[in-house]
Amino acid sequence: MNAAKMHIKYKLILPLVFLLSGIMLYPLIFSAWLSLQDYRLTRINDVQFVGFENFGLIATDSSFLNAMGNTIIFVLSAVTFELVLGLSLALLVQKLVIFRGAIRSILLAPMFITPIAVGLMFRFLLNSEIGIIPFYLLKFGVSIDWFGPELALFSIVLIDVWQWTPFMLLMFLAGLEALPKTPFEAARVDGAGPWLTFISITLPMLRPVIVVAIIIRALDAFKVFEYVFAITRGGPGNSTETIMYYIYQTGFRFFRMGEAAAASILLIIFILLLVILLVNLSRPKVTK
Amino acid sequence: MIVSFENRLLQFIGIMAIFMAIIVVLFPFFWIFLESVKPPSLGGRPDIWRFELSWENWSEVLLNSSVPLNIMNSFFIAFITVVISLICGAPAAYAFSRFRGFQGARYSILAAEMMPPAILILPLFLILYKLELIDSRIGVVTAHLTFVIPVITWFLIGFFDEVPKDLEDQAMIDGYTRFQAFYKVILPVVRPGLGAAAVFGFVLSWNDLFYSLLLTGAGSRTLPVAIASFWTFRGIELGKMAVAILIAVIPVLILSYFIQKHLIKGIGGSGVKY
Repeated sequence: MNAAKMHIKYKLILPLVFLLSGIMLYPLIFSAWLSLQDYRLTRINDVQFVGFENFGLIATDSSFLNAMGNTIIFVLSAVTFELVLGLSLALLVQKLVIFRGAIRSILLAPMFITPIAVGLMFRFLLNSEIGIIPFYLLKFGVSIDWFGPELALFSIVLIDVWQWTPFMLLMFLAGLEALPKTPFEAARVDGAGPWLTFISITLPMLRPVIVVAIIIRALDAFKVFEYVFAITRGGPGNSTETIMYYIYQTGFRFFRMGEAAAASILLIIFILLLVILLVNLSRPKVTK
Repeated sequence: MIVSFENRLLQFIGIMAIFMAIIVVLFPFFWIFLESVKPPSLGGRPDIWRFELSWENWSEVLLNSSVPLNIMNSFFIAFITVVISLICGAPAAYAFSRFRGFQGARYSILAAEMMPPAILILPLFLILYKLELIDSRIGVVTAHLTFVIPVITWFLIGFFDEVPKDLEDQAMIDGYTRFQAFYKVILPVVRPGLGAAAVFGFVLSWNDLFYSLLLTGAGSRTLPVAIASFWTFRGIELGKMAVAILIAVIPVLILSYFIQKHLIKGIGGSGVKY
């Protein structure tokens, strides 16, 4: 088959396939190869094939396991907070009669700005010496060390909640607007209260949107890097080291590209399993 | 209509909650603006609210720092990334929307969109290093394409799905080829979608720190990397950092305001029907 005879549908996707092969597929294969080598940036001309040794090193490395653990805690808590908060706000905003558009725009703002700016803003807002929030909390006798060993990960979660609850709000507002009106009218006629209506009508009907929102947000939360980079650099100790930060450190601070590649491949496998699990859990149960 | 006391109370609590949320969202912006117009000597003093307005931080950053260059770099990189993404993504999104047999391809686009940057940065860094493209804007464009192309393509599928098929059928009856129908009839119809996708892609590239951090040097440094370096290399220069943050944030907030209503269709793609 020559180019002229090629079906138009293949011609249309040709530029995309060509480009993505070069900038994604090839790097992915390269990455798989990299994970099997002892590849150090410091001795780039002395690369040795080591088989699956890197995977063994990574899987038994306590900082990798720690970073994975931190990331899982981070993703679980951030997504849960964002889900609950986003859904509540969506229900409230949807009921507004006036200023709805303006309030919506304000509440959505954080999700559009660069995460490094968000990280740095909160780094200084919450800083125990020059931060305005600890300063005024202290006036009420509350002393919180936001980036101390106990709270640092939680503070990073809060920052993520600040930036990304708007995403949940966006999804749920659209979801709520698209719901049919009839079931709600029926519920009102039957005298169902707001709580019962929410549990038995809104929530089940919103389910597909909720699932999609959780999946998108969870996958995105796995990539958390900027807040850690801006604020704690993984510390205190390694209490806020996330998986992205771990890979960044291993590859570009310790120059161990092979191990970093192995870690990134383990990450992908983990994420893949998670997606499969979430999709299966969310599939509505078939009743025949 | 009789509104019970309980309902009124709930309403009141609801409005207070929204009010609180607005304050929580706006306060950091308000504070960062305040820091940017404080005299530099008062930077980082949480107890001071009354001060003489000073534009010293702004003039320092705009006239006497690398930030203008960083803005140019960020703009150039985001612009080129979006143009290439649209050229490759729009025809493909149209094909995915119209022809059978692309189910798998659709999912690959989604998978590409979800790909963690951690896995691509290692090979990309080594490839760009071998090509001597580290510290070049074109190197960063290459990296940004890996997430902007999938997002823009996925974004556009949703818009093409909404255009009735009769439109290009009619055009083809009138003698257009399939490609002419796509180019001359369908593309103009989805212009709002193209605009929204372009803005969204631009914002994603403009906001990226991770790739830019590792692939740029002094000459090609983007705005987010410059913001991050305000404290690492020169100690805390809070006022100047505040200015740089505002410069990075304000254009994005204005741009995103115009695409909000298109975002849902774009993010959900055609895969999600509410």
